[in-house]
Amino acid sequence: MTAAHRDAAVIDAAASTLADLSGLSRSLRHVAVVTDDGFEVVRRPETAPADGRLASMASSIQALTDAVAYELQLGTAKSVIIASETGHVIQMRVPGHQLVMVALFDENETLGMALSMLRVAAERLAAVLDAGPVRSVA
Amino acid sequence: MSEHVVLFAGPMGAGKTTAIQSLSEVPVVLTEAANSDRVTADKPTTTVALDYGVLTLGGDEQVRLYGIPGQRRFNFMWSLLKRRATGMVLLVHNDAPRPFDAMLEYLDEFGDLYRKGGIVIGVTRTDVSSRPLLPDYSEVLHQVHPDKTIPVFAVDPRDARSVGLALMVLVANLEMRAAFVRDPEAVPV
Repeated sequence: MTAAHRDAAVIDAAASTLADLSGLSRSLRHVAVVTDDGFEVVRRPETAPADGRLASMASSIQALTDAVAYELQLGTAKSVIIASETGHVIQMRVPGHQLVMVALFDENETLGMALSMLRVAAERLAAVLDAGPVRSVA
Repeated sequence: MSEHVVLFAGPMGAGKTTAIQSLSEVPVVLTEAANSDRVTADKPTTTVALDYGVLTLGGDEQVRLYGIPGQRRFNFMWSLLKRRATGMVLLVHNDAPRPFDAMLEYLDEFGDLYRKGGIVIGVTRTDVSSRPLLPDYSEVLHQVHPDKTIPVFAVDPRDARSVGLALMVLVANLEMRAAFVRDPEAVPV
């Protein structure tokens, strides 16, 4: 099976989802879909740094969060929130897939609204991937 | 209680996670993700943040075992974990395409751990590939780092006694330095 970050169907679905998400909030500074093992599938804006560092860090954070959730018998971690002085980073697992959506919002967006937008986007991406002929694998 | 913080480093597929699982007396904290890079290492999962285990030696001595991700794109984790570490077990698989290069690359990256405490090298998968030989590793080490004394062992990460021997040599070195040198940074290299 093709790895998700090289799978045209996954890339197209993720790109479309991120394009829709980008139109919903002016506070969305950066958003990407990454594989569980830290490869970037797609990002917006495309002018954002492409060194893969955010994808790798998001992967590590997701895995550490999953480890904590497992240790405490909480199941799988659905989301991670990093609330900082000038914005928030939110990671959202794409349900049923080895993919994570990671977004940076500036401080003008409420955390609740950002979380809600990202959750809806992740669920939509999952629905598209589930409906398609190729199921993503990392 | 004295405590040592030991990193298990090395390229992807060298056996770091397996070694920690063999040694740890507590369930190992794993951060495995499905491996997309089957070219570099043909294995189903890969470490993306860290592995963590604990080994108690005697009654009052504990070794905290941290495995680092083997892929360079996770090198921010290398920096984070290196700060806490006092020593390193560097695992290199003998069937790697260029095992000497891998060994030297990690020694460059983690060279300050030699000054802080010590480094031992464990050559894994010698059952899969019998060459190069252990003396070949020592020879390369001597050529590139003539000022350093770094023991080289054949290690089976699946075998607690095997990997434990390399760890015990490292711990003995750490203790020796702690006993004779108040400031490990002052140890001549």
